[in-house]
Amino acid sequence: MQVLQAMLRGFGGLAPGAALALSVACSGSVEMAYEDPAEGTPSAGRGQSAAGDAGSGASGQVAGAGGTTAAACAAPNPGSAPLRRLSNAEYRNTVRDLFADVTDIASLVSEATSEFPAESESLGFRNSAQFLTVQTLVAEKYMAAAERLAEAAALSPEVVSCTPEAGDEMTCARSFIRDFGQRAYRRPLSDEEATRYEAQFQQALAEYDFATGVEWTIFSVLQSPAFLYRVERGRPSDGATTRPTPYETATRLSYLFWQSQPDAALLAAAAAGELDTPAGIEEHAREMLGDPRAERLVQYFDEWLDLDRLEDFSRDPEVFPDLPADLPVLYRDESKHFVLSLLKRPDGRLNELFTAPYTYANATLAEFYGLDGPSGSSFARVDDPRRSGILTQAMLVAQDKPYRTSIVRRGLKVRTGLLCQTVPAPPNDVELELGEITAGLSQRDRLAQHRENPTCRGCHELLDPLGIVFEGFDAVGRYRTRDEADEPIDTSSEISQTRDANGAVAGVRELGVLLGQSSEVRDCYVTQSFRFFFGREEEPADACSLSALKARFASEDLSLSELLVAFTQTDAFLYRPTLEVSP
Amino acid sequence: MKRLSRRTLLRGASGLGLSLPFLQSLGPRAARAQDASAPRRILFCFQANGDQPSARFAAAGETSFELGEFLAPLEPYREDLLFLNNLDRRFYELPEGERSDNHQQGGSSLAPWPSGEGSFPIGGEDDRTIGYVEGPSADYAIGERVVAANPGVAYRHLVYRVGDRNNDIWNLHGHAGPAGEQNPVPPETDPYAAYTRIFDFGEGGADAEALLRKRLAKRQSALDLVNVELAALESRVSADDRRKIQQHADALRDIERTLSDVPVGNLGCAAFELGEEVDPYRQDDHVVVGELFFKISTLAFACDLSRSINFNWSGNTSNRVYRNLGLDVGHHDISHMSEDTAFADIRKVHHHLWTQNTKLYELLKATPDGEGTLWDHTLVVHWNELGQGDSHSIDDALVVLAGGAHGYFRRGRLVDYDNETSFSDMLVTCFHYMGFDDVEGFGDARLRLKGSLADVTA
Repeated sequence: MQVLQAMLRGFGGLAPGAALALSVACSGSVEMAYEDPAEGTPSAGRGQSAAGDAGSGASGQVAGAGGTTAAACAAPNPGSAPLRRLSNAEYRNTVRDLFADVTDIASLVSEATSEFPAESESLGFRNSAQFLTVQTLVAEKYMAAAERLAEAAALSPEVVSCTPEAGDEMTCARSFIRDFGQRAYRRPLSDEEATRYEAQFQQALAEYDFATGVEWTIFSVLQSPAFLYRVERGRPSDGATTRPTPYETATRLSYLFWQSQPDAALLAAAAAGELDTPAGIEEHAREMLGDPRAERLVQYFDEWLDLDRLEDFSRDPEVFPDLPADLPVLYRDESKHFVLSLLKRPDGRLNELFTAPYTYANATLAEFYGLDGPSGSSFARVDDPRRSGILTQAMLVAQDKPYRTSIVRRGLKVRTGLLCQTVPAPPNDVELELGEITAGLSQRDRLAQHRENPTCRGCHELLDPLGIVFEGFDAVGRYRTRDEADEPIDTSSEISQTRDANGAVAGVRELGVLLGQSSEVRDCYVTQSFRFFFGREEEPADACSLSALKARFASEDLSLSELLVAFTQTDAFLYRPTLEVSP
Repeated sequence: MKRLSRRTLLRGASGLGLSLPFLQSLGPRAARAQDASAPRRILFCFQANGDQPSARFAAAGETSFELGEFLAPLEPYREDLLFLNNLDRRFYELPEGERSDNHQQGGSSLAPWPSGEGSFPIGGEDDRTIGYVEGPSADYAIGERVVAANPGVAYRHLVYRVGDRNNDIWNLHGHAGPAGEQNPVPPETDPYAAYTRIFDFGEGGADAEALLRKRLAKRQSALDLVNVELAALESRVSADDRRKIQQHADALRDIERTLSDVPVGNLGCAAFELGEEVDPYRQDDHVVVGELFFKISTLAFACDLSRSINFNWSGNTSNRVYRNLGLDVGHHDISHMSEDTAFADIRKVHHHLWTQNTKLYELLKATPDGEGTLWDHTLVVHWNELGQGDSHSIDDALVVLAGGAHGYFRRGRLVDYDNETSFSDMLVTCFHYMGFDDVEGFGDARLRLKGSLADVTA
């Protein structure tokens, strides 16, 4: 089974050669100055990003990975930095922040953007730069949203801070254009850009009035590539690698921690040179984590755990009668409160994500789950010794079918989403006669027959033993002791084919312990985070960034929020390839 | 004014200074079927999970064939239909690393290209992951040619899907390409939003006209400004990103086309009632949503806003539960089972969907177009990602061509291709019907067999 062996390497998404390249490049510890290829002056700070035993992270599992080359990571190696269009979530957050002063902005934004087509998913995420393009439908929806937002904003007294004087309206217009332009472009406008907006404003003023000029400016800015994409030019450099400009660094920071634009203070910090060193970036990163906007980090978990798919949640009313009307929202809120509580606690670590004997619920959800919970609509922590962090939350429900649990898909989610393994596609030509779920034959039993078929066995041995442990929770997330066929639930299982999470388990709680201690899961968490926060799949060139992260995550026992801070100290964050300027 | 779409109106306003007398002068003309000068339209219509090839026809015979149980709803239309049986998708000709599983690759039959990598952690050998196909789908490529040849047509193509709103490698059937690029096209899934995007049969009047003029001036001004910025940016990004910027600029050109071209009036271009609003994503309402998309498609053809439409009853691998048919297991789950009872359910699902498809036929027949009806001037191409669901077969595709289609095809027949002609050959014939006779192949060359369909044209 070559495929299985390949999978055990744990580098799910990489091409075959890439895993090897990673291991070779990343086994050594990394200790060096933060080199600024643009300015040629090393600055302090790089060393701290690679403290500890870097070799214990990414590299250990690859058979035959010999040769340690610390030198491979001596020069910054950021990987690619594709142009990133704002994802729908980022767009919504950004305009909410941009027009924070406009009355009822939140509901206006959700209405104005409700028709944005869902992004094409890639490796479970919706923010892959490769697929975030502006096709015709998207361009039309951007135009329509800009129209609504500009109409509302132009009527809001807070948007223009000056008062136009009759006969000299353009003085105020110029100040508005510079000010609003800087906030929307996340950097000061160039003179050329400002001049274009001034000309447009003048046209609107001549044909209509000042308010129309404001509206046209906002309408155009919201369709500008400088707003819709995170455009980076980088600092001037003669080498292949450079650093983003200070404003670009501010934007990288704000979209990482806030999933939105930098605020005025962060842009000012950039202008003041406070983001010129890794230490300065780190300091701001910690500060940003404490801001309420950091709650938007939940977007990562929403997509990683497939909670975003609950938008299309549907259950057979005959099998599951009388479900609370807003159940999908409650599910997402449950996990949101749970992961945010971990992110906010200095001791909120990965292990607890998989083992927490508690969850979060409001009165409706607690009653639905059959737990003693809070009264009212606010969410609070609810202890329940049967629960095991995200493993017993709606990540499961998102895999299930409208009428029953899906052992196979739940197992697949663990194998691919939590362990980052790749499983073979199912064979095409299998005669399947598993029979209906009936009394005397549980789904577990049916799948056991499945695994007697030699064609099915290879793959289903990867999936079913992982999926079976979740059978204590039904297809709407409630604890149960009997399955769809009214057979007693048996959640005992034997986990195999993982790097270090193998073994017999009695159920989901014990699986949680195995996963929480597994270096494969830990490394996978870094990989998944990397994909989301950098908007792309990892590449061989990311070996240094990834190994530094994995090493620190393990050796320093970083909390979930400190891991995010560590992301700002990687080559992928601090550097970018130099653009070849075309003639 | 009531007969004109907003787009038509906008285009008139900007291009002609809102020449109302001209627009109002468009009236009915004498009917004559198969007006050679009427535009050619194509609509691809998808239903999922394969069917039961052995049960498609109760009796063979080019003209004496008898429709099987699930195709029976088509009997009243058989003289206008052409059944193409056992077309071969041929994607096993692509090496392991260039194709994904049969649902995804079959679901990309309109885009017969190799698959890329990097989007779903299920794969074949060597840790490969599945990606989207790397090239355009026929609806896009045909639409591209249509708008190039007919600047008055606003939309290259329209892509509609009934059901879920999330997009992934399983449910995206439209692709923009170009060859070598993964570039899926997310469909419209909300028929109400799809309707208001391209139509607005509002009243005219001086106030409305003034507002319209102001809005057009604003839009044109913004587009001009953004175009300059895109052009400046294009020279300052990497080669990969340049493609994105160019695509963005293309999209703005598409929008400009809707603002500035000369309108084409048509008797059938008239508002319809959308009816009581339903939740577009509620499975039990799929019939309502599908019919709305059929109406929108018909109207888009009638108003000549687009000549190429990619309609989907679902994504491939759809697990919709057809509770209206008394089923309580998902469609895809049923299709994986090989028991007789499972096949009976599969026949039930397809009988249901084919019944729905005839509603499209009736809409096209009821819509005047040139000197006939839209039915006379449209080719509907019915397809599925698989032949049979449980075996995931790829060499027994059934394609049904429906519609008068300018009398281009010899209809009322069943042609068994016996895997000697490929699905992509069939797509080439679609290009030919649409007037693009120079097309000799579409998609990857390894997926072709005969070049086009032999012996089907009149």
